[in-house]
Amino acid sequence: MAVFMQSLISGILIGGVYALIGIGLTLIFGVMRVINFGHGDILMVGMYLTYLLFTYLGIDPFVSVLITFPLMFLFGGFLQKVFINRVLNAAAQNQILLTIGLGLIMSNTVMLIFTSDYKILSTSYSSATIQVGGGVSVSTPLLISFLITAGITAALYWFLLKTDTGQAIRATAQDREAAQLMGINVKRMSILAFGLGSALAGTAGALIAPTYYIFPQVGAVFTLKAFVITVLGGMGSVVGATLGGILIGITESMSAVYISSGWKDVVVFVLFLLVLLFRPSGLMGKSRT
Amino acid sequence: MRKHLLALGVSMALTPCLMAQKVGVINSMSGPEAPIGENITNGIKLAEEDLKKKGVHLQLVWEDDTGKPQISMSAMEKLATRDNVVGVVGPYTSACSNAVAKLAEKYHVPLLIPAAAKEEITMQGLRHVFRMNAPADRYASSLIDAALSLGKPRSIAFIYENTDFGTSTSKTAKDYVAKKGLQVVAEVAYPKGSADYRSSLAQIKSKNPDLVFMVSYVADAILLMRQSKEVGLQPQAFLGAGAGFTTVEFARERAISENVISCTQWTNDVNWPGAKDFGDRYKAKFGKEPTYHAACAYASMMIMAETAKNAGGDRAKTRDALKAGKWNGVMGEVQFADYAGFTNQNNHTMLVQQIIGGEYETILPSQFATKKAIYPFPKWK
Repeated sequence: MAVFMQSLISGILIGGVYALIGIGLTLIFGVMRVINFGHGDILMVGMYLTYLLFTYLGIDPFVSVLITFPLMFLFGGFLQKVFINRVLNAAAQNQILLTIGLGLIMSNTVMLIFTSDYKILSTSYSSATIQVGGGVSVSTPLLISFLITAGITAALYWFLLKTDTGQAIRATAQDREAAQLMGINVKRMSILAFGLGSALAGTAGALIAPTYYIFPQVGAVFTLKAFVITVLGGMGSVVGATLGGILIGITESMSAVYISSGWKDVVVFVLFLLVLLFRPSGLMGKSRT
Repeated sequence: MRKHLLALGVSMALTPCLMAQKVGVINSMSGPEAPIGENITNGIKLAEEDLKKKGVHLQLVWEDDTGKPQISMSAMEKLATRDNVVGVVGPYTSACSNAVAKLAEKYHVPLLIPAAAKEEITMQGLRHVFRMNAPADRYASSLIDAALSLGKPRSIAFIYENTDFGTSTSKTAKDYVAKKGLQVVAEVAYPKGSADYRSSLAQIKSKNPDLVFMVSYVADAILLMRQSKEVGLQPQAFLGAGAGFTTVEFARERAISENVISCTQWTNDVNWPGAKDFGDRYKAKFGKEPTYHAACAYASMMIMAETAKNAGGDRAKTRDALKAGKWNGVMGEVQFADYAGFTNQNNHTMLVQQIIGGEYETILPSQFATKKAIYPFPKWK
């Protein structure tokens, strides 16, 4: 039982961070219909930013989210304004090539600056735990990052549902042309959405940094995960991405225990295929026929 | 006048080269193995200096194999046929060494491999291939022997990365524990680079093993130990085989690396002649702590160069002298012997070390010990 609870809890906690990555990707897709293949690399930039802030300025990784979030927002907005906006009406494969290219530039630039060595962030609480009872323990940094994730997700819901700008973003996602006819500046909404998406990915990077390790190619692992989560939850659905993230987290952790650690990716992808077979538009997606 | 001086200078610079024996070096100086290759290069450079002091002038022919076996092989062809070297020191990786070994045999060039781990290399009866370091199976057996001599463990759990390196090391370990009567209670092969090992570790914890045997590289080693602490995995000893558990970075993570037992080919505090001095000079010259690869490469070059010189640059005589010789230096006693299926294999003593007070301290074999071992593993704080 302890093993079951342990893997359930760590699955949920890690799933929360996955969700944050997925939400960023789904937001970008929802508004622009652009699949961002550089999403993991944006996360990697967030990790290195956190690493720099921690090593040179001594800013705690969790506090540094306050700096990482706006910086990554600006970075994302810049990418959107300078690059992505130009291919919004281009063929899908051109968009994909552009985002892959941007990702490659990011990871290789980082590799030139920091070399390909692994970096480990060691905070005083990196290996701290809280005993929950029944032999189950929870990693303190993972718990904190889960709480921050939950907070950010809640704030994001509020922003998208209650504010004018949020509604304008959702309107753009629903129907770009109709939104434009209603007087919404869709180009600005796109910049906002890509900025937000990048900020979320960067924040996820900052939150993972204390418990994971950092290297220039780390993005690839998370790009793939973000995809599975987004498609599983339904492309463009924020609720879906949240659910998808947690579901993937739990599946990984459970299958590592009850099947085999080496097979956990197989289990995740089988689940993924099954969901697509029975609900082709994802858990929360609306079909777009 | 100026021209004359230049000519004089050139001829003076060339003189030792003309008289010197040629010795080839194949090493991974670029490519993914470059960080380790750098240690080997530096070790050989130090050897070159020391040989000069001893009056052994040699001309080194450097070849970079970028860590790829096919490039390593063409480097060997070139050294054997065009440069006419007396002997070759290198290459670094197991894959390259194994490929080059067969060529060395074909061209009758004595090859001294400083630090490749795969057992097979010296198990093929190749007469011209010599190896300085202890092969991979010794990692597992040294660690398990150490645990058995320190306490009375009955069960063992394995967790290792599902790569060639991880799988083969733990396979030899499993064969060895079967002989020693230890019970394997859990076995987890994980894909490299996972973010979360907690569930696997919790599963191992539920089996309550006396020993936990891990095979991983740097970053995973730190994650595994961090998460072991998180889930409260509490064996009598953590045994770390492989690269990740013997790095300065790992030792620096004192909260989780303290008391972990690992093993290595060489340390700078062992009382082998010149080991400490080598470590100090290496650090002074290159600004870094040497890894065992550096010491292996240094000792290999010293032996190869002196043997080649004494043999007057004759390949067959060099081979015979390597086979017959006995040395004592930074790597301890070196002798290339035939035993347990190996040919020309130095039966090198592995040093078992434990991180005590944030430093690697040798705990076994007892004649080389710098600190007393801490066993069983203390309760996590």
